[in-house]
Amino acid sequence: MKNLEIDAKIKTAQINNALGVFIMVFGLIVLFAITHTVTFVQQMTDLVAGLFLIAVGGGMIWKSRRSLKKFKKK
Amino acid sequence: MLTGIDYFVVISYILGMLLLGLYFKKFVNSSEDYFLGGKSLPFWAIGMSIVVSDIGALDFVGVSGQAYRYGVSVGNFDWVGSVPAMILAAFIFIPYFWRGGMYTIPEYLGRRYNRSVRTIASVTWILFFALDLGVLFWASAVLLNVLMGWPIWISILSTAGVVGLYTYFGGITAVIMTDVVQMIIMFTGGFALVFLSLDAVGGWDNMVEKISTMGPEYRNHFDIIQPADTTSPFPWTGILFGLTFVMANAYMIGNQSIVQRCLTAKNEWHAKASMIFGSALKMFIPILVLFPGLMALVVHPGLEDGDQALPLMIKSILPPGLVGLMFAAFFAGLMSSVDSLLNSTATLFTKDIYEPFFKKNASDKHYLKVGQITTLVLLIIGVITSPISSDFPGIYVAIQTFMSYFQGPLFAILLLGIFWKGSTQWGGLLALVIGIGFAIFLNVSKDSFFTIEDPFLYISWWSFILSFIVNILISLMTERHTDLALQGLVFNAKIFTKNEKI
Repeated sequence: MKNLEIDAKIKTAQINNALGVFIMVFGLIVLFAITHTVTFVQQMTDLVAGLFLIAVGGGMIWKSRRSLKKFKKK
Repeated sequence: MLTGIDYFVVISYILGMLLLGLYFKKFVNSSEDYFLGGKSLPFWAIGMSIVVSDIGALDFVGVSGQAYRYGVSVGNFDWVGSVPAMILAAFIFIPYFWRGGMYTIPEYLGRRYNRSVRTIASVTWILFFALDLGVLFWASAVLLNVLMGWPIWISILSTAGVVGLYTYFGGITAVIMTDVVQMIIMFTGGFALVFLSLDAVGGWDNMVEKISTMGPEYRNHFDIIQPADTTSPFPWTGILFGLTFVMANAYMIGNQSIVQRCLTAKNEWHAKASMIFGSALKMFIPILVLFPGLMALVVHPGLEDGDQALPLMIKSILPPGLVGLMFAAFFAGLMSSVDSLLNSTATLFTKDIYEPFFKKNASDKHYLKVGQITTLVLLIIGVITSPISSDFPGIYVAIQTFMSYFQGPLFAILLLGIFWKGSTQWGGLLALVIGIGFAIFLNVSKDSFFTIEDPFLYISWWSFILSFIVNILISLMTERHTDLALQGLVFNAKIFTKNEKI
């Protein structure tokens, strides 16, 4: 793989990592918001939405860290 | 006004956006990085960004309000009014812009027709974008003022500060990546709102039954195709001719802020895929935007202003945390519209005005600096002109409508430019000028020609038709370009093959 391609992959991974952190933090905030809800439906909605955001953010962080590890070695 | 956890969410979101946007400064080392993200971005990020910049916060509220007033026919704007045009753009137009290494659509028009066409198109876009900026700053400030209770000037300056900083430093990469976050959050909150709203109205069948029994004015609320003589602004004739044939294509193919995003892709495959992926996401937009508007009819019947439907549904249906997140996404939608305008206008000015007219063959760093300074100047103009919007409540709609009039003639010359070798520089120039003039004439005297409330779909159709005819007639009478001059600029079946020279 050419150096330029490796640089592009590293750039994409760094971007994904930043996005993942941002989305995951908001997932955690939504999970924390469960303490401010009243009904069971509201609790479940915050739980599902928060977990979804954490899963998306976490997935992006995991994938980008793997790519960074792989391409930085090269 | 928001309280507690929701207030905290909105503040964190704004600060987080600023930090995230500033992080992308490290990827900007050249003008290509600033205007085209170094041509390195993936299709999924661009696709999400296209959808988000297309459906800004004002549209989100507006479409819900129209669904409240007119029913599901407004969904046409995101289905037939987007998907076919995006597929056409992906397979026919984007490859030409991509392979030509272009930065702007006027740049293509300049190569295909002449420099006057390029300058007129570019100056028109710049004027519209600059006018829009002040309005969007004002809208953002009003939203912050209502939600957070901040004074209006503090709201304007904080919006300008956040958006300005990350757009100035991060360029289009910051613009696109902040859109990605916004889309994920908007979809999460939007789907939560739809499910909870359905629960609140007792399911879909119950909602349909309740709305159908509300009175004769709600009889056509679930008809996606409205009769030609409907009093709503969406008769099927306008939807088919004005929207599907002209405005949708003009928007997806001729709008700088949309096309520029595709040109940031890492290769041609990603550029095409971004449009296809965007079109798939677009199909969900009516579900997220239109359904809450319909359900608001059952939950909050009798609203005088339909635009209140979505904010009311969010406040009454969503739980704490998600309310803040959805309003933060609204605010981010406005920020996204502002940052798109800033970056696209800076690109148009630097590439179509500054480079050809003021300083040719300068260093790349020089053009990067010009782009950044243009962003800063536009930001200041936007802040200074924003209070004017408060004196003209209809100014946003007026600017958007006027912009749509420009799009018919622009699409006519783009279409003939690509598909007809015989289209000449004079044909293109006169078609653009006469078409815009005709659209203005129709707008001024619309009461004499049209019976519906807002005939913008018909006006864009007829101005397109006139420009198309003028282009053909003038081209037949004037000298054609040589085949060599048209190489890579007109349709050739080789465009469907991978990276073949065209």
